[in-house]
Order: sequence, then C-alpha cells, then structure tokens
Amino acid sequence: MAEYKVHLRYFVGDPLETIRQEDLDLIAGRFGVEMAVNKIDNREFKDGMMREETLGRAIEDITQDVITVVAGDEAALRGVLAEVYDRYRSPRTPYGFWGSTEEGRDVARDLIEETGGGW
Amino acid sequence: MKVLGLLGSFRRNGNSDILAKEALMGAKAAGAEVELLRLTDYRFEACQGFGLCLFREGGCHIKDDVKFIWSKIAESDAVLLSVPCYFLESTAVIKQLIDRAWVLAHQGTLRGKYASVLVPYATRGWIPYALLQPNIFFGILGFHVIHRETFNVQGLSETVHDDEALVRARRVGGELAEAVRGGDSAYRSKPGLCPICQDWNIRILQDRKAVECPTCGIRGRLEIKDGRFEVTFDEKARTEYRFSPEVGYNHFTYHIKPSRDYFLRTKDERKAKAQPYKTYLSSKEG
Repeated sequence: MAEYKVHLRYFVGDPLETIRQEDLDLIAGRFGVEMAVNKIDNREFKDGMMREETLGRAIEDITQDVITVVAGDEAALRGVLAEVYDRYRSPRTPYGFWGSTEEGRDVARDLIEETGGGW
Repeated sequence: MKVLGLLGSFRRNGNSDILAKEALMGAKAAGAEVELLRLTDYRFEACQGFGLCLFREGGCHIKDDVKFIWSKIAESDAVLLSVPCYFLESTAVIKQLIDRAWVLAHQGTLRGKYASVLVPYATRGWIPYALLQPNIFFGILGFHVIHRETFNVQGLSETVHDDEALVRARRVGGELAEAVRGGDSAYRSKPGLCPICQDWNIRILQDRKAVECPTCGIRGRLEIKDGRFEVTFDEKARTEYRFSPEVGYNHFTYHIKPSRDYFLRTKDERKAKAQPYKTYLSSKEG
C-alpha cells in the first residue's frame, strides 16, 4: 500500500506568507490528514543581516519551515497540496521534498505543474 | 572619477560604437576619465558550470580575459554599456559575460556603482527583450542604472545623421558622470512599468492571481482601469527584487549551497542511472 508522506521544505524567503500551524490545521481538517510545521532557525545576526553558512551542512539542519503532510490516499494529498501551493507557493528547490516517501514526492512534484504553484 | 564604456558590438564605427563614444565625450566633458572596451576584442569562454566560484568561493578557474574585464569595471565608478538589439535582444557576448558574472554576484564586490545603457536597434517592435540582458548584468552586479535609452537606427553609422540621438547620447554620458560626482542614483530615462528594471515586460503567473516582472521577480497586481491595464507593485514587493542584497544572499545560501549536500547524498544513484547517457551519441570524450 502506498505511503503518502510529504515534507515540503520552505527556505528563507520561499513562502509567500508566514506558515502557521493554526492555518495548516484548518486545511488538514478539511481533508482528514495530518499536517504539522516544524520551524528550524539556525541563523545569526551578523553585519546587519541574518546570516548562515549552509555549505557542507545537512539539508535538514539549515533554516527552513518544513510542512509535513501524511495522507491516507492520493486524492486527499492532492487536495491538501493544492491549497498549500495556492497559499504559500511550492518549494523552490529539487531538495525541497527531501525525506518524503517516493509516492508522496511524485504527487507533490507533479502537482506543482498542474496548479501553477511553481512559477 | 572614471567612466568605463563597454561595447557589445563587433562592428567598428557602427551605431553602438558611435553612441558609446558620443556618450563618453559627454562624460569627459563633465570631468570624467573615460575608457572604452570592445568586448568582442577579448577572449572569454562559456561558463563551464562547475560552480567552483560558488562552492569554494575562490573565484573562477577559467584562464581568459574575463578577469581583466572585471578589473576594469572594479577600477571604474560607472559603466556605460552600449549594445545593439539583434534578434529581439542583446548580442550574445553580453549573455556570455552574464554567465561568467556569477562569481561577482556571489561576492557582491562591485555593488553600488553607476551605469547607463544605450541600445541601438533597427526595427520598431522588434526589441521586446532589448533591456533584458543589460538589466540582468547590472542587476547581479548591484549597479544603479540611471539611463536606459533606445535608438532607432539601422544602417552602419546611420546614427551620425540623427542629431537628436547624438545629443541624447552625449547627455547620458554627462549625466552619468554627474550622478557619480553627486552620489545621485535617481533614474533619468523615461520610466517603464517595472520600478526596478524600468522595462515593460510583465509575466502573468500560472495561478493567474498575480503578475511579476520576469527579470527582477517583483510581484504585482494587474487591473483594468478606464479600459487600460494598470500594474501596481506594493512597497514590500519593491524591496524584494531578486537582485537585492538580501534576496541574492538567500538565493545563494538556501537554493544553491545546500545542493552540495543533495548532490553528495544522491551521487551513487545518479552516477549509475546516468551511465547509459555518458557515451550515447558522444562525439567527444567528456
């Protein structure tokens, strides 16, 4: 049975608006899925800007908001992702789905083209 | 104070050449030291995409004349770029230079200098992307572009018949020198739709909820008022153009550098899957 688990990794400046758990809860409730946001911030204020060295660091450790979606079926996952892309746009990078299951990643990637969230 | 002319045309004494020289005469009259480099006189190769300039932060490893061009820009206070519009856009030499400018975009060492752009072109309506490469070039260098001027001329040296064009070019050069002297980055040419690029190209995003300037990436709203299209960019959007120090920093930090970790983690799988393509239809050993 397919396992639809998707990590959407939004790095600094990527989402169109602040990602809040309460907003995700509303989307999750509509589709009967689990959704959570994990905020990782390893930046330091230096030379007047928030800075971070990311070269040589693990993808999971650098500053990002990670939305995790666990869905029981593809239709629910597609519905959730369409709303997420509409609100925040899609992740920007090829490693923006790192850690997802293969089935989940494929749906997430294909849907970007369908919804226009990848502009 | 020095104004460096960069010429994106092969043709000697052609329209780009004449306009650049007229502008540099104006800059000189305004007190600037001037110099002109014809880019096609120099040898610079295509970017090889190794990313050493990004990942090792040591500069570009290719041994050609690009470093000389960068050094000339570095020692100048302003750059006057004169480049013809050939097939809808700038000549290829400018794109070649843009690709090699990645290292400078990353380092940000030339930020804050001044620039003006002159574009002679032959046919009205055939210049939709004429400002694209100049805007990218000066955008990634972080220059204040204070003029973007187009000139409708076709035959070799035809611009000498056009007094208005010559006067305008000379004024551009003079104003460029004055801008450097006064530290005044105000835009002098006719404004465009995008407040950053001053170009008229607008891209409708696929979600059809917003538009963006395809060059600098700022998002805006498209509306119809009194039968005319209106595009508005709010103040926040204006600060989030892709060539800004913050957006540029975030791009390198979060979209480029982490790809090394991604590359290393997927290396074995990619290497195995790419094997059939390595020799297929290859005429040269790569």
